[in-house]
Amino acid sequence: MMLEARSISKSFRGLRAVKDASFEMTEGTINALIGPNGAGKTTIFNMIAGVYRPDAGTIVFQGREIQGLRPDQICVAGIGRTFQIVKPFAGLSVLDNVMVGAFLRERTAPGARKVALEALDKLHLGPKRDVPAAALTLPDRKRLEVARALATRPKLLLLDEVMAGLRPTETDQMVEVFRALNRSDGLTILLIEHVMRAVMALAQHVGVLHHGEVIARGTPQEIVKDPAVLECYLGEETEV
Amino acid sequence: MNRRAALALGLLLALLVAFPWMAGAYALSVATLILYFAYAGQAWNVMMGFAGQLSLGHSLYVGVGAYVAGGIFYHWGIGPWAGVWVAILLCTLLGLVIGFLAFRFGISGVYFALLTIAFAEFTRIGFDHIPALGGPGGLFLKVAQRDTIDLAHFRGPPIMYYYAILAFTVLAFVGCWKLLNSKVGYYWQAIREDEDAAQALGINVFRWKMLAMAISSGMTAIAGVFFAFYYNNLFPEQIFNISRSIEIILGPIIGGVGTLFGPILGAALLTLLSDGITEAFVAMGWDVPGIKQVFYGVVLLTVIMFLPNGVWPAIAKRLRL
Repeated sequence: MMLEARSISKSFRGLRAVKDASFEMTEGTINALIGPNGAGKTTIFNMIAGVYRPDAGTIVFQGREIQGLRPDQICVAGIGRTFQIVKPFAGLSVLDNVMVGAFLRERTAPGARKVALEALDKLHLGPKRDVPAAALTLPDRKRLEVARALATRPKLLLLDEVMAGLRPTETDQMVEVFRALNRSDGLTILLIEHVMRAVMALAQHVGVLHHGEVIARGTPQEIVKDPAVLECYLGEETEV
Repeated sequence: MNRRAALALGLLLALLVAFPWMAGAYALSVATLILYFAYAGQAWNVMMGFAGQLSLGHSLYVGVGAYVAGGIFYHWGIGPWAGVWVAILLCTLLGLVIGFLAFRFGISGVYFALLTIAFAEFTRIGFDHIPALGGPGGLFLKVAQRDTIDLAHFRGPPIMYYYAILAFTVLAFVGCWKLLNSKVGYYWQAIREDEDAAQALGINVFRWKMLAMAISSGMTAIAGVFFAFYYNNLFPEQIFNISRSIEIILGPIIGGVGTLFGPILGAALLTLLSDGITEAFVAMGWDVPGIKQVFYGVVLLTVIMFLPNGVWPAIAKRLRL
């Protein structure tokens, strides 16, 4: 098992953002967590990424309990993440941004450079490597987020609404990138996503959150037929 | 670094080495002052320019460094080559204490700056009450024999001090260049740009900030030791004064925060222009106290308005370095 959440809960000032949520991800799979706004997706994401410590429950990553570790320790353990609101190192070049990530497992600058260039290639950012990150467009910034996380050589990659704000063609490109990463590198992926087009195309397993609870789990095909999911989230108008 | 930059650097270094033979006593003292500020500015730049932590209290490390090495020489006649290690050790420890207090509790930005000022201020008051180091009356080192070079006790003619501070400035430049282009430099810049993103990439932000603090304060201690043996008299009121901290940071700010050349260029511009203006006023028979401070203000305003990244980045862009 790559990652397992065992009845984790988190409250903010009495508001229970996540209640008793459990799920697991096997190695080499692409998983999605969906749900309406305020359902607790980002809270779960942040608990895995080490930003919040769960009030109760455990998170087990490759056989080791990781709840309550700091974000940098989570990354060292092998979980990479992106930010929903992108956070490029604006004053550094695209290549230097990714090299920061690469230094996690590389001691020397030439070594980090090599790893960074590979990551940039995978995201098709190679030609822009000398551009200052501040000058990138939003889709490129999203790619930079992914490249930077990849350079830390994660075993599990957490993607926080990485498709949001992309055009359909750009979304399809991103989907291809993640498929390739999953297929060739065996990377396990968890995406938190609003863009159903991407979820349907990419995810093998989907979990649906509503009011902080996991109300359904299954393949995308099973999920879209689930009456509870239809009622609370997808609604009538969803086309698949 | 490309070949043109390397060539320019080599020429500059050759010029600086040959300088004492081309210049008079006054020019040599100005050049020594420039190099002193270039060195201290480089040390401050490690904290602010590289790691993004604004210290407004670097006079603390200058002062402690100066008093430690000066005191050891004054009381026991032991030269600075031993004292400098004690100074570095003590200043690094001080830096780590301040860093621990700030970074453990997430104090950053202006609050961190206030903390650094506070430490410099109460150390100043503390040194007023150490009779062994002269208290508010000051500590006076035996004036140097100006004609023979006594390296062991770091006593000698101005040219010796010039070469000493030149060596330290070169070492600091090379050291910072190495740091900036290695893992630690990348990590510091990542922390400067965005702490959350840095942490998400596996960077233990606290640890690397502490390292920046240690290196910067330790480097600044050397500036203090130099100061003590060059000027020979130390007063808490002067050496720990916040205006001393400001003087140190003006060079890098004018020259370009976070750049390797900024502190050197900024120190040269500021010292040359402010001394030039003071000289010009004296030559014209005007006695205007505080003209230097007014001048600093004007230069700072001008640079912030027209070259917010400092003078050096603009020049580097023109020269395509």
